[in-house]
Amino acid sequence: MSTLTAAPLVDTEASAVRVRDVSKSFRTRRRSHRAALEGVDLDIAPGEFLCLLGPSGCGKSTLLNILAGFDFPDSGEVLVGGHRVTGPGPDRGVLFQTPRLFPWLTTWQNVLYGPRARGLLTPALRDEAAGLLETVGLSDARDAYPHELSGGMRHRAAFARVLINHPGVLLMDEPFGALDAITRANLQRFLLSLWQERRTTIVFVTHDVEEATLLGDRVAVLSGSPGRTKSILDVGLPRPRTYDDTETLEFVTAKRRIREVLEAAP
Amino acid sequence: MSDVLVPPRPLTDAAPRAARRFTGRVLIGAAGLLLVLVVWEVAALVINDTVTLPTVQETVSETIAKLSEPYPAQGHTLWVNALISTGRILSGFLLGTLAGLLLGGAMASVRVVRELVDPILQVTRPLPPIAFIPLLIVWFGIGETAKIALIFSGVLPIVTIATLAALDAVPAELVHASRSLGASPLHTLVHVRLRSALPAVITGLRIAMGGAWTSIIAAEMIAATGGVGFVILQAGNYLQTPLIFSGIAFIAVLGFLFDGLLRLLLRAVDPTSR
Ligand SMILES: Nc1ncnc2c1ncn2[C@@H]1O[C@H](COP(=O)(O)OP(=O)(O)OP(=O)(O)O)[C@@H](O)[C@H]1O
Ligand SMILES: [Mg+2]
Repeated sequence: MSTLTAAPLVDTEASAVRVRDVSKSFRTRRRSHRAALEGVDLDIAPGEFLCLLGPSGCGKSTLLNILAGFDFPDSGEVLVGGHRVTGPGPDRGVLFQTPRLFPWLTTWQNVLYGPRARGLLTPALRDEAAGLLETVGLSDARDAYPHELSGGMRHRAAFARVLINHPGVLLMDEPFGALDAITRANLQRFLLSLWQERRTTIVFVTHDVEEATLLGDRVAVLSGSPGRTKSILDVGLPRPRTYDDTETLEFVTAKRRIREVLEAAP
Repeated sequence: MSDVLVPPRPLTDAAPRAARRFTGRVLIGAAGLLLVLVVWEVAALVINDTVTLPTVQETVSETIAKLSEPYPAQGHTLWVNALISTGRILSGFLLGTLAGLLLGGAMASVRVVRELVDPILQVTRPLPPIAFIPLLIVWFGIGETAKIALIFSGVLPIVTIATLAALDAVPAELVHASRSLGASPLHTLVHVRLRSALPAVITGLRIAMGGAWTSIIAAEMIAATGGVGFVILQAGNYLQTPLIFSGIAFIAVLGFLFDGLLRLLLRAVDPTSR
């Protein structure tokens, strides 16, 4: 462990996710390297719903990939649940912008992929998987293949596939960005009720201010490239939230406050 | 929680429609083949010369006769000749496929191997396998080895390139998803990378199988004492046109059969093609 953090590794209560001075640059063909992240700091409490907001290309996906363990920072430190991230793992569920189900597996088999791959498949888990499919409204599509599902159904299947692992942290990279408004609103409602029930720590990348305001406890605004933490705002709206809250004055005010920070000169 | 979600519509009503579409496709395909036979028959009746173009019945009765009667007299029946050709194809095809899978896999995972082999493949790919027949005869004689080597050399580059392209095309997100769901790197390699590449590899096998039939017939016409290609050549030498057609029909049926097997395999592994 580096000397950068004073907190001991076992102190999981302090923060579920701890990002310290993380920098990352990519080699490109034209220039020798391009900085994507520069000195990013972020602390996320257990059970917190944090939205990452920032302009396109500011490094949101890069940061999420680092948290997921798909990519590694050049410098700095990333701890999840008190452990240094060394690679991908089932403790961090990842939902991509496109659902990325395994096309050769049915919905049911996709959901059971994680437990099966780890040799943990028990009758109890099967029951739980059936319950999860019920929850996400896919019981009838259990034996359908991904190409037979609609876009929203695929997203819900991907949700179930991740939730069966009981991840402590959910990492979501613009998961509803490509969906129509109605499906999107449905999934936002689903995510809100899921979080209300499970209190999973969630890092949610979006470039939609309204989405960030509706979902997040706090919103971390990144500044444009290379990405830095510009500001971290409390949304300050009461929980539980519903989709109807988007029409209240408090919501509109909170939204404007976040938009102003996002659009302010760096 | 489910009350916030739109219930999905049932997926079952799609099944009978798919079955009806399948029957329709088979019927239309059969009608196309029938049309060819009708045109052939009419043309044969107009020309009225067995050596130029035999009728369908003449071809069928010749085929049936040669199924049990050896041709040439000291040779084999059509069945045995078909078996000989099939045996050559299968040996060369299986060996070439195995080598191609290993080579393609090695190229996809080891950079040096890729950079070493890629130019060789690029240079040799445009060469028709038939161009190697004289060389293979010089090296291996006119026995089985030369013919199996010919099939092998035709199948190897196609399967190698198909395997490499298929493995390269596996989306990184699928591998990432598998790893973050808790699968080990080995489990991910087998159940995601290889599994995801399988349909494209099988498509490569279908192309290679087609090429194998082309080159085996060519090889049998140049140097052989058995095989369907040999029968066609002999029949041609003695102006036995109905038998030429029998041989061609046999190749068509065998080629269709093997491609059908590979298509079944493809359907089994790729739900989107069902
Ligand atoms: N694999 C890569 N190779 C080279 N450069 C990369 C790579 N991935 C990202 N970058 C660069 O890093 C920067 C940040 O990219 P990133 O994908 O993290 O942005 P983002 O904030 O997620 O943008 P968006 O909102 O459009 O998804 C960009 O300038 C991008 O060009
Ligand atoms: Mg992104």
